[in-house]
Formats: sequence, C-alpha cells, structure tokens
Amino acid sequence: MEAKGKIQFVLDNKVDELSLLSAKVETMADLWDFSDSQTMNLNLVLEEAISNILFYAFDDDSEQKIYLILEYDDETLSVEIMDSGKPFDPTRQGPPDITLPAEERSIGGLGIFLINKLMDHVEYCRKENMNMLTLKKRIK
Amino acid sequence: MNISFETKSNFTVIHLTGRIDVTNSNDLETELIRLFEDDRYNLLINCAELNYISSSGLRVFLLAQKKVMAAQGDLIICSLQPMIREIFDISGLSTIFKICKSEEEALQKI
Repeated sequence: MEAKGKIQFVLDNKVDELSLLSAKVETMADLWDFSDSQTMNLNLVLEEAISNILFYAFDDDSEQKIYLILEYDDETLSVEIMDSGKPFDPTRQGPPDITLPAEERSIGGLGIFLINKLMDHVEYCRKENMNMLTLKKRIK
Repeated sequence: MNISFETKSNFTVIHLTGRIDVTNSNDLETELIRLFEDDRYNLLINCAELNYISSSGLRVFLLAQKKVMAAQGDLIICSLQPMIREIFDISGLSTIFKICKSEEEALQKI
C-alpha cells in the first residue's frame, strides 16, 4: 500500500493547540503504519519543539502562527516547524547533565535533549525573520 | 490523564491513565503537592495505563523525587510501558528512580 504523504498545519500560539495536534498526528501516524512507540516519539518531539515556541518565542500575548509540515516517504519522516518569534537555535543548547543524582538534577532542559536523542537529524536556520527547525528520522 | 489513588501498606498507590503532557502536567503536580501536604511521602506510581509522557511530565516526577528524598520518604515507579521506559532511559531518569516491573514486585520491596 502506498503510504507516502505530506500534511501541513497552521497552529495558533495557544497551548490547547497541542492536544488537537496530537490527535491529528496520531491519525497520520496510523495511516503511515507507525508503531505506538514511533507515534509517541513523534508527538513528543512536536510537543517539545512547539511548547518551546509557545513559552519562549514571543514576549507579548499577541496572536501568532506556528507552521508545521510533516512528510513521510516510506523511509524518512521529515518535520519542519516555523515561527516568527525571537531567534532561538535549539541545536546550540548544551545538553543537561543526565548523570547527576536527583538532588542535583535540573528540573528543566530535557525537552531539547529529547528532540536531539529521538531524531537522527536536527537542523536550525533563521530565514526572513523566521525560525526554521528541520527534524528528520529514518523510520524503516 | 486520569489520576486515582489507593492506600496499600503505608504507601499511597497512584494510578496514572492516559497522557501526561504540557497541557496537564500541572494537574499531576497539584495532586502530588496535596499528598505531600498530608505528609504522605511514600508513593508508588503505577504507570501501567500511562501511554504518553513528555518532558513536562518527567519534570513533575523529578520534582516529586526531590521532595520525597528531602522528607526521607520513598517513591517507586512501576509497570512502565516499554516506550515510556525508553524515554526514562534516554533521559537518565532510570537510575534516579526506583523502577519495578509490576505493582506486586514493588509491594514486595516495600
């Protein structure tokens, strides 16, 4: 069965959008025949990347759009996320020290770390006042 | 996410069902803080029905662990689905938490 596909989303900068998105992503992942684990990891990566934008990219409460493209060609999953917020390059964030004991572990900082661990390729560029994050993962 | 509680031995068993994400991790944090305010620092978190966790959920687990350790209580996580366990492993949290395969195994260790 041909399972190629590309889907685009335009999200408002509201946290509730993440719940709607995850349901739609699950539908796509079903169509693409992803395992439960692959689907969870895709939703996890999207949540981490988009919640970073929601919480840190914009200084005021103005309505903004976040653009998302998911593409799967039976081999590689590609994700593109674009926003017009402050420049932020997640590839330049140092990883948290995950060897520290609980008392010393930092409460935050795991989101970007998980994106880097779960995806094969993470690339950032700033283009025409937009942050563009490209993520790739070989699925099969 | 659905959260339910029961008491076994001197432990509060917390059953988590569904997803813990950035939209509801605060609800879990609120429930755990309520337990701590009741001086209940022996917690067994049963994750058999938990099928999604993001860093916001992991953050709440880590916060709970810190509070429990400071109060010399005990926090055990059991019945993690393999895909959730993988996220704990990747995050280096499997070495921080006491993790048991099943609730029975956890209760035997109490």
